[in-house]
Amino acid sequence: MAAITAVSALAAALAAQDAAIFGYGVAGAHLTGSRQDAAEQDWVAHNKARDTLTAMISQLGGQPVAAQAFYQLPFPVQDATSAMALAAYLEDGVTRAYLGIVAVSNQRLRDFGAVAMQSSAGRAAYWRGSTQAFPGLDP
Amino acid sequence: MPDIVPRRRLLLASATTLPLLLATAGCRSSDAFTGPDPLAGRPRPAPDVVTLQAVIASEQNLIELYRTALSGDSAAAGPAQELKPLLAQHEQHLTQLRARLIQPPGTASAPASASPASASPSVSPASASPASVSPSGSASAAAPAPVTLARLRAAEGASAAGLVRRLATVEPALAQLFASIAACDATHVTALGG
Repeated sequence: MAAITAVSALAAALAAQDAAIFGYGVAGAHLTGSRQDAAEQDWVAHNKARDTLTAMISQLGGQPVAAQAFYQLPFPVQDATSAMALAAYLEDGVTRAYLGIVAVSNQRLRDFGAVAMQSSAGRAAYWRGSTQAFPGLDP
Repeated sequence: MPDIVPRRRLLLASATTLPLLLATAGCRSSDAFTGPDPLAGRPRPAPDVVTLQAVIASEQNLIELYRTALSGDSAAAGPAQELKPLLAQHEQHLTQLRARLIQPPGTASAPASASPASASPSVSPASASPASVSPSGSASAAAPAPVTLARLRAAEGASAAGLVRRLATVEPALAQLFASIAACDATHVTALGG
């Protein structure tokens, strides 16, 4: 099995962040009150993470890939319930992507990936209403 | 008629002269073989194994805390319906961690988990020491401290932090398992009101 390079792992996380940013824009439109506030906070957090990952990729000599104009949603989002399900789905994707960074050999990147996983797993638990035994890993 | 050296005497002579020859040549028995001296005892476990054993012990500590919290003696931690799913997830963690531990036949099992009363928020290999297990049924043994939500939160947070500290010392697949469990532990902190 080929070793996971730092740049490729960071690029995968960047792609997940870009998808989350797009998806939260859709989800937030179907939420109100405190849930909408939470969606906005999470959207801001993902934007910051995207900027961080872009800088890290550039520092390592990689070329950050720009976000797509449109992302295919996994299911229709028509109400608050489906909006929250989408948010949880997006966070699960972000968690999986950061798990990939944990596999690289650089210790600082492993720590970075693990801490980021805790944040995204926490957001996923909020939107899902329950915790998972192995965030980021296949069930 | 030539003397025929009895077979037994010949073999005995070989058994006693070979070590003598090796000694006079400055050799140890292991020099005649590649690898470690087979007479030196069991080799020490690899670092990954030691780490995994410590993590397993830490997970067992958490499980014991939850079980104590769910028992009739400690009602301070809150409703069972909130704690049981978290306990179930820790039991899944333990199953996966044990599945990663490959022990040769005849080796001792992993160190016994520490008693709940001795479990501290700080997770370290020392907390998995079997010497910290208090004897059961002792009239002089102090009652275990009540397991409150705050204590569970602290234990979960310490577990998550401890797992992240160990990431650099293990191979990638195990690091990913540790990170995933740490992420779960972090969500438990929030679920417990943190």
